[in-house]
Amino acid sequence: MTREKMGNIFVWLLIIGFLVFGFPGIMDRFAFGHQHTSYGSYIPWGLWISSYIWLIGLSAGALMISVMTYVFGIEEVKKVGKMAFLVAIATLVGAMLAVGLDLGHIFRAFNILLDPNLHSMMGWMGVLYTAYFITLCVELYFAIRKEQVSSEKQKSIKKILVILGIWSIPLAFAFHGGVGGVFANVSAKPFWHGPMLPIVFLAGAFLSGGALFSTVAYIWRPNLSQKDFVKMMVFLGKVTLALLIFDSILELSEVYVGTFYANQGEGHLWQQILFGQYWYTFWIAHILIGVLIPGFLLVAMSKSPGAIAIAGLLIAGSFLAVRLNIVIPGMLDPEIHGIAQAWVHSKLTFSYLPSMMEWQVLFFIVAVVLAVFMIGKKLLPIYQTAGEE
Amino acid sequence: MSKEELPEVRDNLTLETDESRRDFLDKFTKGIFGGLMATGVINALAPVQARANKDGSNLNISTPFKPFVLPKEQPGEDSTLRMMRDLQRALKKPIEQRKWNMVIDLRKCVGCDACSVSCAAENKLPPGVVYRPVMQQEVGTYPNVGHVTLPRPCMQCDEPPCVPVCPVEATWKRPDGIVAIDYDQCIGCRYCINACPYDARTFDFGMEYIDDTADAPEVFLGQEIARKYETEASFEYAKEWTREGDESPIGNARKCHFCIPRIEKGLLPECVVTCIGRATYFGDGSDSESLVAELIALPNAFRLKEEAGTHPSVYYIK
Repeated sequence: MTREKMGNIFVWLLIIGFLVFGFPGIMDRFAFGHQHTSYGSYIPWGLWISSYIWLIGLSAGALMISVMTYVFGIEEVKKVGKMAFLVAIATLVGAMLAVGLDLGHIFRAFNILLDPNLHSMMGWMGVLYTAYFITLCVELYFAIRKEQVSSEKQKSIKKILVILGIWSIPLAFAFHGGVGGVFANVSAKPFWHGPMLPIVFLAGAFLSGGALFSTVAYIWRPNLSQKDFVKMMVFLGKVTLALLIFDSILELSEVYVGTFYANQGEGHLWQQILFGQYWYTFWIAHILIGVLIPGFLLVAMSKSPGAIAIAGLLIAGSFLAVRLNIVIPGMLDPEIHGIAQAWVHSKLTFSYLPSMMEWQVLFFIVAVVLAVFMIGKKLLPIYQTAGEE
Repeated sequence: MSKEELPEVRDNLTLETDESRRDFLDKFTKGIFGGLMATGVINALAPVQARANKDGSNLNISTPFKPFVLPKEQPGEDSTLRMMRDLQRALKKPIEQRKWNMVIDLRKCVGCDACSVSCAAENKLPPGVVYRPVMQQEVGTYPNVGHVTLPRPCMQCDEPPCVPVCPVEATWKRPDGIVAIDYDQCIGCRYCINACPYDARTFDFGMEYIDDTADAPEVFLGQEIARKYETEASFEYAKEWTREGDESPIGNARKCHFCIPRIEKGLLPECVVTCIGRATYFGDGSDSESLVAELIALPNAFRLKEEAGTHPSVYYIK
């Protein structure tokens, strides 16, 4: 059995498993709204918002690979550009689903498009995601079309793809930097507030998306000779390692500034992240699984496609922990001392651990992402034929 | 305020916030891509308070306020009488010339929570939603200890951080200074809740007090009878709201609105009239004759988190 077939079977089994596990959560969400979630009014955002920025980051990172293919013409990844669009679309769908299910009135989500407030960074999100989704679909269309036309027409399509690719660079910066802006603009939350966060979001997006893509390219191997395949994987591994180092430097800077001599504003929040009740989210899920093990694999086994793919999966998967550690700590501080004791209710507390129902919904969303990818891959001619330049 | 009073109240006050704005056709027209971009540009240029016209003309107050007779001023009278006279004077002015302020005298507050409870009753607040919690804290080290209390309504900031973050302009500042929410427009993203530096907004999760209670009709009053009390309508923003299914205000951000339906009828906010120590004052801060204007001018009046630059309309006296 080929790797691709095994991958297909494994992913479909995952999809079925996740759907079965997640279905009760979705039913609960529509029957009881947000009642059975762990977030409340003082910690209003939880696992789903963290998942949204995780998934949209993966999408932006996958887009970066397509830009490498079509704008910069990087030889090593020229055969996987279309796959990158598909990954970007699938994760974008998942991100929209996550943020949609998080809304109090999901069916009013279109108000953001119909009646946006462009003073609000979140108001911009509607415009930017629509533009992004359209761009991705058009890019994918032309990328597929390019193969099906004569070589003369190919040149003009190539031009279109370059223009669209160039357009998608500022778009990616805008929509993902903008997600960082959604948080960074909130001056009431010192942990989020500041100019660093949009940059951190972008770096994290490129890292996690690039890492995910190295796994995807390994399992669903494009039509390449073994030598070119290894070359592609090594290139993806190098990119991932460079981004991992850059992202770690940013994070080190954040931890250093945040904890320096018990920094008044956010020092105690970093204490919570590093040594609090949920320390394992940072040390085990993020540092061990998301940085040290993949870092070791990418350095010590830099020529092994399998090791690079595993490293990519570990980074991309564990990046949810990074997103959780950005979103949740920002809301842990009461704005007014003693407010949680003033009017007591389970939705008026300052602690958060996702409920089972929240996890179920997340797994359902991941199943949808995987299904969109698998169906898209099946229906669309994603692999490049030998005749393409 | 009882349900029977509603029609009169609605005739009198009504802040029907530009129904046509919410009109489907309007949205549909805007929905066309070009329209969307145009809306974006217009919105980007407009001030954040654009939902209500500066002169309040689009608040559609159909009937002018009809003052009712109050006793003549007497020495030693209850402060609520003076505040009601202040209120009547303010309501005779155009809406944009009023500036609603609240003043809370912390020296008089005993932390009884009457204001929080009466607010919940007036606005039919469900579990998990609170407009005016009262913080209580022991200060000092034994034996030198004290007890401080701090009621916290919505600050109705002049620079409200919750307004510009709303992605759909569902919250805005009225000409009289109150920060309002359009429940029918709100998508429930909870961005405003995060943006408020006073934790003044809470989310309606659709819970009921009778959830998980025993239902034994033959032994004691059953759930269904109790539910009748939970489904009593509230009249926030001059509209009748019944909490049912997933209809608004379920799934929306909610907050104190200085009891708009009451004040526009000439009644003081519920928290003011139920304060057992007369520690909460309300009135038109732009009227130099009013009690709140006098209190705001005191040297020991202060506002919470001045450093946040939000310019709250609520003052405290210490």
